Amino acid sequence: MRSIKNRRRFVIALMLVALVSSTAFGQAVTSPQSGPSTKGAVVKGKAPVNKTVLKVKLPKAEEASLPNGLRIVLLRSDKVPTFNMQMVVLSGGLADPADYHGLSTFTAALLREGTTKRSSRDIAEQTDALGTTLTATSGISSLTSTVTASGLVENLDQTLDIFADVVRNPAFPQSEVDKYKTRTLNQLQFQRSIPQFLAQEQFSKAIYGTHPASFVAPPADSLKRVSSKDLVGFHSTYYRPNNAILAVVGDVTMKDLMPKVQKAFGDWQKADVPVVNIPAAPEQSTAKIFLIDRPGSVQTVLQLGTLGIERTSPDYFAVLLADKVLGGGPSGRLFMNLREDKGYTYGAYSGFGASKYRGTWNASSEVRTDVTEGAMKEFKYELSRLGTDKVPTDELENAKRAIIGSFALSLEQPQALLQNIITQKLYNLPADYWDTYPQKVSAITADDVQRVAQKYIDMGHLQVVAVGDASKTRDILAKYGTVQVFDADGKPVGGGESNR
Amino acid sequence: MRRVSKFLSLLVICAFSVIAVQAQAARNVRVDFKETTLKNGLRVITVEDHSAPVIALALTYNVGSRNERQGRTGFAHLFEHMMFKGSEGVGTGEHMLLVFNNGGNLNGSTNEDRTNYFEALPANQLDLALFLEADRMRSLAITKDNLDNQRNAVQEERRLGVDNQAYGKSGEIQQELIYDNFAYKHTTIGSMEDLNAATVEDVAAFFKMYYAPNNAVLTLVGDFKTAEALAKIRSNFEMIARQPDPPTVDMTEPQQTAERRANVDDLLARAVRVDVAYKAVAGNSADFYALQVLAAALQGGQSSRLYQKLVKEKEMLTNVGGFMDEKRGVGALYTNATLRPNVKAEEVEALIYAEIDRLKKEPIADWELQKAKNTTRRNFINGLQSSLNRAVTMGQYTVYYNEPSLINSRLEKVGAVTKEDVQRVANKYLLDTNRTVVITMPKAKTRATTGASGQ
Repeated sequence: MRSIKNRRRFVIALMLVALVSSTAFGQAVTSPQSGPSTKGAVVKGKAPVNKTVLKVKLPKAEEASLPNGLRIVLLRSDKVPTFNMQMVVLSGGLADPADYHGLSTFTAALLREGTTKRSSRDIAEQTDALGTTLTATSGISSLTSTVTASGLVENLDQTLDIFADVVRNPAFPQSEVDKYKTRTLNQLQFQRSIPQFLAQEQFSKAIYGTHPASFVAPPADSLKRVSSKDLVGFHSTYYRPNNAILAVVGDVTMKDLMPKVQKAFGDWQKADVPVVNIPAAPEQSTAKIFLIDRPGSVQTVLQLGTLGIERTSPDYFAVLLADKVLGGGPSGRLFMNLREDKGYTYGAYSGFGASKYRGTWNASSEVRTDVTEGAMKEFKYELSRLGTDKVPTDELENAKRAIIGSFALSLEQPQALLQNIITQKLYNLPADYWDTYPQKVSAITADDVQRVAQKYIDMGHLQVVAVGDASKTRDILAKYGTVQVFDADGKPVGGGESNR
Repeated sequence: MRRVSKFLSLLVICAFSVIAVQAQAARNVRVDFKETTLKNGLRVITVEDHSAPVIALALTYNVGSRNERQGRTGFAHLFEHMMFKGSEGVGTGEHMLLVFNNGGNLNGSTNEDRTNYFEALPANQLDLALFLEADRMRSLAITKDNLDNQRNAVQEERRLGVDNQAYGKSGEIQQELIYDNFAYKHTTIGSMEDLNAATVEDVAAFFKMYYAPNNAVLTLVGDFKTAEALAKIRSNFEMIARQPDPPTVDMTEPQQTAERRANVDDLLARAVRVDVAYKAVAGNSADFYALQVLAAALQGGQSSRLYQKLVKEKEMLTNVGGFMDEKRGVGALYTNATLRPNVKAEEVEALIYAEIDRLKKEPIADWELQKAKNTTRRNFINGLQSSLNRAVTMGQYTVYYNEPSLINSRLEKVGAVTKEDVQRVANKYLLDTNRTVVITMPKAKTRATTGASGQ
């Protein structure tokens, strides 16, 4: 099939990520006379558009539980004979000790490196032979640890046997822990060659200070000290049936699934799990500019943003729409302005995250070095404009249509639907949350959008990160404020600050 | 939010499992389609499917970077960008707005062998999708402003993917080294110089020659009634004039007679990387499918021979991967390995070649054959869930192989591969004389300690 990649296709793959994975909007289309309110597009209004937004009915998940407290959620999808199952353990990086960030990440990563019944190699060979993918991940600032298996329904029983073994009986052999450490330390070095990684790392640090969300990769200190014993400790404390949800999507019925789940997880022992306090994000610091010097760069990677909202914030839907207008896809203002009008970049987007602590709201782009100044100017213009000028009605209505209309396409992505259900459970959102989502989107007004833009995209607290050739960009950035310069290893360069 | 795409080689083959050890019979998935050719030569393939209120439309044009001439590398892809800049009934950028604002998705992509354009939309927007694709096939707006704007975007795309990325240039150098025939001896993204040289006259001539209905395949999948949809397709597309068939490209690739090799100093890299390629065979051939199975055993996933030997046992690499490239012309088997510090590239190479020798001497294990087929099957049938993916895949199979039914037979073709086939293709293609090796060495640029600020 077509997803075989080589380097040249890597270029195109980036484009696919940029375009296909986003739904977006941002322009006056329904009233061509009003003309485009943003740059980069001309609206002729001749194409035949059906004005009706298709209403779709989302499939319902079925739920069950085991006496040991394990909750099961099943979303039936029988179009093709495959399945995807996730054991969502309701503790992640936020459960790490304050001086040991990354412990949950290491625990998850080493689950498949050996159990009491199977070696690392057995697990790799047996899952691959079944055509099953088996992954386990937990982020440093995540609420959960997740083990995922994806495979063919005819191999469901055999997959469940390995899946349950990995979830329940990991042995964390010290030899595998040692191999993991050295391999991961080298991978962390490798990541430092990626400019977007450097930008994200510095941006998170700028926003979050010492909060767990300030780490985008495990700190080397944690990695160096990790031992089998620590991993056993984290696992036995948190990987418990009463602290987990088994979420399944695919070509299987609850009637067929439950006996298999009972067999695999029925005798998994429950236990009291410590309550984890979710640390609040720190107060926003004043506006700052960080420049990561990456000699040899021909582009400047720019990332600008502020602290945003929690997932359950009453401002959620207003931020969702404001972000769509700003840069939630290729028809957002950032893309239309920086790429389609100015030709500065291959893409410019915004996005926001939201968890049980406040996420970030940020905008980013990669621009050739000699237009760094122009790009900064346009970013500032678009970020400010969202708060100073009310979004035109047509533009806002298009944003709503984009979001609501995309529910039809989501019906062909059962895994995304399952993810929505998991989100609803993680944040204790109402049971009808996704069914009433379109109404909540529809209810947002231009005043709401302006209000949240003013509230969160506060220029007095804007954090700016640039990764590129400092010799060519330092003076440009200094026009916007004090610049702190670091090298690609995070060390201050040339006295650290530059101002003029 | 910004996503950094990893350089994973997703080995996507496709297998129909015929393994006896499996307890349950594997259910087959069939895609029923109807084929029609319009009077102007446009091939139309429709798949009616009412399982979700979605329509997906793909236009696959029989043109890619293989059709470029010397001095115009990157042009087919630059042209693809122009197709989003408007036509008689659609303003510049309006295409994107119309699709996204109605809850849809779209993109275009170019490779050596084809260019495609596709969108998925809620099912009540079929008229919109057909209008957008027909209007640009009929009446593309070709202006200097549009060209200059997208030349900039494409040059940033090149910087993003090649010039500003570690190992970005290594891939380009390897491709230019592997091939002798110009058709594949240059990258699809092209050189900055050639992108600068492109003119509006080039765009107009390319449009006329390659973007004609008789050089394209339209695939439509989803929630519609076939007879109605065909009537709409005719009313949108049938008035577009046929053009003389474009000249065929000579894809003959001379036999390679000696190993080729390059060393690359990379300012942006932090680890040594070894890239090995063996020139092999065209896609959708028996040998191609056998090489896909071979690639799964050699370098697919954590159970693979190279991962177990070089990453886990010897701890010489941080990562290894690779794939068998599918092309209409001669493709290659690629392997890439990222080295840990203080590991010698020649030692890594020697161990890779030892594993390749083992593939020549002994058949792969039963479980490895099963792995290749099951992994392929899972990937392939999961891909069939999406209307858009079906539309794009069938368009590609039709343009590549004149075989839309490959969507139903592909898994059987992989299923037919035997252990003997794998051993045979190892001996046929994985020869030293067929090999092209690129070694990338990190070479950090030194900077004056005070951080020159350009004052």
